[in-house]
Amino acid sequence: MEKTHGLQFEEPSFGKRIKGMLSVDFYRLFHTPLFYIFLVIAAVIPAMILGMTSMENAEGVVEPLYTNTWQVIAAQEPLYAIKNIADYANMNMVFIFGGIMVSIFIGHDYKSGYVKQLFTTHAKKEDYMLSKTAIGAFSMACMCVTYLIGTVVAGLFVQASFAVSVVGIFSAILGKMLMSLGWASLYVFLNIIFRKYFGVSILSSFFFGTGILIVGIATAAGNTPMLNVFLYGSSVYACLSANFLSVLVCLAVSVAWAAIYNVLGTVVLSKCDVY
Amino acid sequence: MNAIEIRNLSKSFRGMYAVNGLNMTVPVGAIYGFIGENGSGKSTTEKLLCGHLVPDGGEMRLFGRPYTDAGVRARVGALIENTGCFPSSSVYANLKMQALNLGIEKPDEEIARVLKIVRMEDSATLKFKKCSLGMKQRIGIAMALLGDPALLILDEPINGLDTDGMRIMREILVDITKTYGCTVLISSHILGELEKIATHYGIIRQGRMVQELTAKEMESRARVFVSVKTRDMQGAKAVLQKAFANVREEKEYLCVYDVNDVESIVKTLIEGGHAIQEIKKNKIGLEEYYIDLMSRKEA
Repeated sequence: MEKTHGLQFEEPSFGKRIKGMLSVDFYRLFHTPLFYIFLVIAAVIPAMILGMTSMENAEGVVEPLYTNTWQVIAAQEPLYAIKNIADYANMNMVFIFGGIMVSIFIGHDYKSGYVKQLFTTHAKKEDYMLSKTAIGAFSMACMCVTYLIGTVVAGLFVQASFAVSVVGIFSAILGKMLMSLGWASLYVFLNIIFRKYFGVSILSSFFFGTGILIVGIATAAGNTPMLNVFLYGSSVYACLSANFLSVLVCLAVSVAWAAIYNVLGTVVLSKCDVY
Repeated sequence: MNAIEIRNLSKSFRGMYAVNGLNMTVPVGAIYGFIGENGSGKSTTEKLLCGHLVPDGGEMRLFGRPYTDAGVRARVGALIENTGCFPSSSVYANLKMQALNLGIEKPDEEIARVLKIVRMEDSATLKFKKCSLGMKQRIGIAMALLGDPALLILDEPINGLDTDGMRIMREILVDITKTYGCTVLISSHILGELEKIATHYGIIRQGRMVQELTAKEMESRARVFVSVKTRDMQGAKAVLQKAFANVREEKEYLCVYDVNDVESIVKTLIEGGHAIQEIKKNKIGLEEYYIDLMSRKEA
């Protein structure tokens, strides 16, 4: 059982470093209840929205808020400014849940002190950023799937319409899943910034996840496609009228923001104390 | 080659220097006892070495390489402040995560190996939060030992342990340095325990290194004395003072300082007509040496 101990220090390759960090994070993800709880939340929320929401129309008659199942996935058109709650409450909510989940996941790293083990053996700070971003993106993409399942089951249950363009719904879902990467990187960055304040991390993730800033800009400046350069804008752009081009826009915006936030997060971790 | 070389290291928090121009040298294979009062900068230095804090200035090298080198840092094991374990996960799960983090090829074998070293083979399935303090500290050591660490940085690993826990921890540390050749940097307030294992010492005060010395140097500097108890203390004191330069009365004993030869004291007392009730050879240990050094610095 004895080990031969030499003083040779082989620089681990990027692949080996990332594999190590990802292995830990995926192990944690699958061996703790947090991930599964959020998967269930992502499935239950749309079911509740579809089955339980109603609104009074102009004549004073109470009608279901959603008549078509796919409205719970995305709006028909990219509406950055909100006219009614039905335009807003769709699969983009996954990014709010995801933000909270990422905050708790990273918060546990700090609270338990495990982050010390990670940073002792990983001298390169980008390992941490990349791994957490990947975990966050994977989790949110999985939540999109359970959200879809919850929506379909609830739609069947309340006998709502399923009429939709196949290309549109496929592009909308794929676009939103791709946006998970950008959102995850934002949340990891926010959690790095507020790493000493767990509560602030969660609140900031929730605040940015709601897209309230973009909604505010859209209310003031109008429903301009220029807002697609932002994470919330592109997430809205992945709507039921989306197509292959919309998916490409989502991919490009998501990757660009992921790169920006990863670089910024790495700089913060390299220049500041890690806890 | 030295395992750790620190030159002019500084770190401040809101303008207050926790480490201020620190120099430190830890040879390869040493068990380096890092001593200092609370707030003297021990933990800050260890966190700096582990890359948890960013220094204001100075240079740190591990095995001749910059401390930011990914290759050398992959072979540093640390136990800083707490074990860094997830409380709701089992001992095994926590070790597994660290093994995965280090990219160990056969994690289960490696986990079995380190659990054997820390004598916790039967505790793998326990939840971490159910473990006693002593067990938690040993799990922390096991975490640090995973892989093939060339350097272990241990911050107060024996604090809060009972006598048996301290003995086990001491045996583990000696075992791992002898068997695996690890260099160990260990800070502790329990100087009596540290004295039993350390090969080198570094005494830090207000963020600066006051003194670095080997255990042999410490031994040579440590004063010895013989304490004697007789029925007629004043008469015996007069007899001893004629033969020895430094005789003091302390509590109910006569202490003859800087004398190693018990036989000559016995002979002197018997020739002087004094029966000996009790006689004991003593050594001023690390703790007394440290207190003496600190009080001199204070003065």
